[in-house]
Amino acid sequence: MRILITTVQVAFVRGGAEVLAEGLRDALAAAGHEAEVVAVPFKWYPPERILDLMLACRLLDVTASCGAAVDRVIGLKFPAYFVRHPNKVHWVLHQHRPAYDLWDHECGDLIRFPNGTQVRDAIRDADQRLLPEAKAIYTIAGNVSRRLKEYSGLDSTPLYHPPRHADKLFCAGYDDAFFFPSRLGPLKRQGLVLEALAKTSRPVRVRFAGAGDAGSGQAELEARARELGVEGRVEWLGRVDDERMRREYARCLGVIFPPLDEDYGYVTLEAMLSSKAVVTCADSGGPLEFVVDGRTGLVAEPTAEGLAAALDRLWGDRGLARSLGEAGRAHYEALGISWDTVVQRLAA
Amino acid sequence: MRVLIATVKVPFVWGGAEVHAAGLRDALSAAGHEAEVVAVPFKWYPPERILDLMLACRLLDVTASCGAAVDRVIGLKFPAYFVRHPNKVHWVLHQHRPAYDLWDSPLNEMRDSPGGARVRNAIREADRRLLPEARAIYTNAANVSKRLKKYNGLDSTPLYHPPQHADKFYRAPAEDFFFFPSRLEGLKRQALVLRALAHTRQPVRVRFAGAGLRPDSLRELEAEAGRLGVRRRVEWLGQVSEEDKRREYARCLGVIFPPLDEDYGYVTLEAMLSSKAVVTCADSGGPLEFVVDGRTGLVAEPTAEGLAAALDRLWGDRGLARSLGEAGRAHYEALGISWQRVVERLAA
Amino acid sequence: MKINWFSPLPPAGTGVAEYAAHLLPALCDRAEVVVWTDQERCDVLDARAEVRRYQPDQIAWADLNRADLSVYHVGNNQEHHGGPWLVSRRQPGLVVLHDVSLPHFFVNLYRQRLKDRAGYCAHMERVYGANGRALAAEFWDHRVPPEYVAERCPLTELAVEGALGVFVHTPAAYEELKPRRRWPLACHPLAYRATPRPAPPPRDGMPYQLIVFGHISANRRLEYVLEALAHAERRDRFHLHVYGSLWDPRHIEQLAKAPALRGRVTLHGYVADAELDAALASAHLAINLRFPTLGEGSISQLRIWDHALPTLVSRVGWYATLPASAVAHVRPGHEVEDVRRHLDDFLRDPAAFARMGECGRRYLQEHHAPGAYVEALLGLCEEARQYRPRALSYYLAERAGAEMSAWCTDSAKALRPVAGQIARLVA
Repeated sequence: MRILITTVQVAFVRGGAEVLAEGLRDALAAAGHEAEVVAVPFKWYPPERILDLMLACRLLDVTASCGAAVDRVIGLKFPAYFVRHPNKVHWVLHQHRPAYDLWDHECGDLIRFPNGTQVRDAIRDADQRLLPEAKAIYTIAGNVSRRLKEYSGLDSTPLYHPPRHADKLFCAGYDDAFFFPSRLGPLKRQGLVLEALAKTSRPVRVRFAGAGDAGSGQAELEARARELGVEGRVEWLGRVDDERMRREYARCLGVIFPPLDEDYGYVTLEAMLSSKAVVTCADSGGPLEFVVDGRTGLVAEPTAEGLAAALDRLWGDRGLARSLGEAGRAHYEALGISWDTVVQRLAA
Repeated sequence: MRVLIATVKVPFVWGGAEVHAAGLRDALSAAGHEAEVVAVPFKWYPPERILDLMLACRLLDVTASCGAAVDRVIGLKFPAYFVRHPNKVHWVLHQHRPAYDLWDSPLNEMRDSPGGARVRNAIREADRRLLPEARAIYTNAANVSKRLKKYNGLDSTPLYHPPQHADKFYRAPAEDFFFFPSRLEGLKRQALVLRALAHTRQPVRVRFAGAGLRPDSLRELEAEAGRLGVRRRVEWLGQVSEEDKRREYARCLGVIFPPLDEDYGYVTLEAMLSSKAVVTCADSGGPLEFVVDGRTGLVAEPTAEGLAAALDRLWGDRGLARSLGEAGRAHYEALGISWQRVVERLAA
Repeated sequence: MKINWFSPLPPAGTGVAEYAAHLLPALCDRAEVVVWTDQERCDVLDARAEVRRYQPDQIAWADLNRADLSVYHVGNNQEHHGGPWLVSRRQPGLVVLHDVSLPHFFVNLYRQRLKDRAGYCAHMERVYGANGRALAAEFWDHRVPPEYVAERCPLTELAVEGALGVFVHTPAAYEELKPRRRWPLACHPLAYRATPRPAPPPRDGMPYQLIVFGHISANRRLEYVLEALAHAERRDRFHLHVYGSLWDPRHIEQLAKAPALRGRVTLHGYVADAELDAALASAHLAINLRFPTLGEGSISQLRIWDHALPTLVSRVGWYATLPASAVAHVRPGHEVEDVRRHLDDFLRDPAAFARMGECGRRYLQEHHAPGAYVEALLGLCEEARQYRPRALSYYLAERAGAEMSAWCTDSAKALRPVAGQIARLVA
C-alpha cells in the first residue's frame, strides 16, 4: 500500500509528535508498505491563521501522486488530518487543545485573542463534522478518545504504540533519586514537584531531564528550587541523549510523571519498561491508563502534600518501589503494545 | 539565522529536487544557521489542482514559528516559493515548465485538458507578479534565468551548487560502455538514445541507471529497445545506490546526457567530477552551460543520427574520450562551484 | 448564557442609557451579565450584573472570551457608542442598532476620538466608492449638512459588517437591513419597564402644561411649536415647559420673548431625572416632534407614555407607525398648522386627550415589556452563537479572493471551487 501520514510541522521544534510520525512511517515500511510523511507548517497565532491553514489543508490533493493512487491517508494532527482522501483513517495524537481542555488554562493562548471564541467554535465545529469523513478514528490513547467523545461527541478507539527503543530500556537497580524526564513547562508541572519536595519528611532527591521550550524554563525552576530551599536535593540534567536517558531510567528509584491531562505520555511506558514505579497525579490523564495505584505505581492528589506523601512512601520503602516497578514491567508485557498491532489496524 | 526552505514534494518520488533541498539545508547548518525544509505535497493534475495549491501556499504562515521569528525563507520550487515572508529570497530550481517551455511538448497534459489555458495563464501571471515579492531572485542555472527573463520578464542571477558528495567522485580506467543515469522519463530522452544506438556503426553499448517516473516507464523502454533491435547493447540498472552510481561513472567510457532543455543537471557535473566526456544535445539546456563541444564533451543535434555520430566518434577514439573527460574535470575545478558561496548569497 | 454587555449607562445623557437601565434587571433574570463600561461614572443597574471597566485599546480579551457572547450597542453618538463599536471591531458579537443611519457617529468618532481623517475617508470609500470618499472629505470639513450625508452614506454597513447578529427596534429598520444581511436579524420594540402605578396621577387644571424635553436639536421643530403656540387663539390657557439642552439657546430665548409668548414659555435647561419625572407627572400634553428622523424608536416617547401623557408626534419613521389612539400625528412641514389644530382640539375635549394618554400607557405595557424583549434578544443571541463559526466563511472568502486576485482576472469565478471548500469547512 502507498500510505501518506499527514501531520503538522512546527519549524525548529522537534518533539513527540515528530517522533511518532517517523515511528509510524518506519513501522509501515517495515510491514512492506510505501509510507511517507506530509507535514504542513503550523502557526496558530493570530487565530485566523488557524483558519487559513485549515483551508490550505482542504485544498491539498493527496489522492494520488504522479499517476498512481495513494491508497491510504493516516491523519495524525489538527488540521493536517483534514486533508481529503477517500481512504482516510485517523490516528489522532490530539486535537488543538487550546480550543478544548486548554481553553481557559495558562497554557492555552486562544482565549487571549479577541476573536478567540469565534475561532474556537470553528475548530470544534470542523472537528465534529470533518473527522467522521474518515473510515475509522483511532487515537493514541484513551485520554484522547475521552476528549473526542466529551467535546466532539465522536467515538474512537485508542491504539497504543511502544515508545522509541522500547527494546533497549533496562533496569540496573534502584538508587537514591527519583527521575523526572520531560520538557520543562507548566503542563508537565516540574514546579509542583519542587513544592512537593519542600513538604516531604524524608530527604527525597529528584533528577530532572529535559529542556524548556525555546531554551527557557530551567532558570525559573532553579530559582524556584532555591526559594523553596530544595536546591540541594534536585539535579538538572538538561537535554540528554537516548543512551543517557535509558541509563537514568535504569538506575533511578522510581519515576515521577505528574503532567496535567497528558494525552498519552511515553514516560509512563518507558518507566515500566525499566521496571520502575511511576508516581503520577489523579488529573494526569494518559498515565492513569497504565498506572494502577498501589500496583504499578502511586496515584497522588495533584497537590504538593499529596505528591510529597507518595514520594515519602517509596523513599521509605524500597521494597515497595521495586515490587511496583516489577509489576509495571509485567503489566506492560501483558498489554501487548506493538507497532505490528498499530500498523495492522491503520492499514486495514 | 533561522531559515526555512520552501519547496514541493511529489509523494513517493525522490529526486534531484529533494537532494537539492537537503543539500541546501545541510550547507546552511554547516554555516551555523538553523535550517529546515517545508515541503508541500504537489499534484499537478487536473490543472485546477495547481490553482488550489497556489492558494494553499499563500495561506501558509511561515513568518514565525512557536513565538520566534523565521528570519529568512528561501523559495525553491513552484508554487511553494509563493509562501509569504518579508525576508524571502528565491533560488528557483525551475518554474512549472508545462506552463512555459513545455507547453507545446507532446507530453503536456495541461495543454490537453479543458481548463489548461486558463491555468497556464494564472501560473504565468502569479510568477510574474509574486516572484518579485522576494528581496532577490537567484536560480540554480543560467537556463532557468533565461526562461524567467523570456517568459516573465524577470531578471535573476544563476548560482551554481555542487552535486551531492562531490568529493567522492573518482575515475577508473574506461570500459566499453556509456553511462546514462537519470530518471526514466520522456524529458530525459532515453528513447532518443535507443534510436541513436540503432544508427551507430560501432557496437556502442549503454548502461542506463534510474527508476521510472511512471510504473510502466521501464517496460515501455525495454519494448522500444526490442523493436529497434538494440536490446543486447543496453542494460537497465534501475535505481542504484550512490556508491554504485559513482562506480559506473568512474568506469564508463563517457556519459550520455541529452535531456530536453534541462534546468541544471547534476549528471553533467558528476561526469566532469569523474573525468568523463559528456555527450549532450544542442537543445539540452543546462548541460550546455558546462559542456563545450570538442573541449569537455560533444554537443550533438537532437536526432538519432546526430547522437549516433557523437557516440561513434568517442567509441572509436578512446584517447579523445579521455582528454575531453580530463578537460571537463579541470573546467569544473576552475568554476569554483561550492555550497559555501551559495549560502553566502542566499543568507546575505 | 453569559453575556458581555457594552452600552452607555446612566447617568450618560442618552436614551440608550435609560433603555439599558430598564432592560438589565429583566436580562439578569435570564442570563449572567457582565456590564463593560468606559464611562467615568456609572450607576449600578442591577446587583446581579458584574461591572467591568475597560479601555477599547487595552482590554483583557480572555475575560471577554469567558462569556458566551458580547452584545454591543451602537447609536448615532460617538461619545456613548464609540467604545462599544471599537471593541466590536475586534471581537465580533451581536450589535443592537439604535440608529440605522450613523453619519454623526462615525465622523465624530474619527474626528474627536481617533483623530483619523484618512481612516474615515477610507471607510467611506470602501463602502460607497469614489463618491463616498469625496463626500467624506466635504462632510469632515463641514461643507455638507448631516442630513444629506445621512441619506446617501449612512455607514450602517460599518456598524454591522462584522456582526454575528443584528437587533433593531423598528420594522422600518428591519426592512432596511433585511436585504443585505449575512447575519441573523431580529426586531423587537424598545424595552421600557413601566412604573407600577395604580391610577393616573391627578393633574391640575388650567393653564394646561405642555412639555418638550430631551436633547433639543433642530429636528425637534421647537421653533414651529413656539410659532404655533404664539398663534393659538387661546394661548392663555397653555404654558410650555422646555427641559433639556438646546442646540441654539440664544435663538430660542429670543423667540420665547415674543410678546405673544411672554409668560407662557419656561426654558428649564437640563434637570435631574426626578425633576423631569415630576414635570411629566403634572403635564397635560407632550410634544415630541422629529423631522427629519434618523429612523429608530425613541425612549423619550416610552417615558411619556409611562406617565400616561397624550403626545403630538411627527408622522415620520417609527412615529408614523404608532396608532392614532395612542398619539396625535403632526405632518412634517405642517407643524404650525397641525400643532395649532391639536391644541384647539385639546381645549375642546381634554378628556379625549387624557384617554389617549392612558391608551399610550397600555400600548407601552403591551409592546415594550422588558420580559418579552429579553426573550427576543436571547433568542437572537443563541442564533448568533450558532452563526459565529460560519461567519468566518466571509473572512476566508475575502482572504482567498485577495490572494487569488494576484493571478486571476476574474477572482469571483475562480473563487467558486474554493468557496465549496470554505463552506464545507465552516458550514
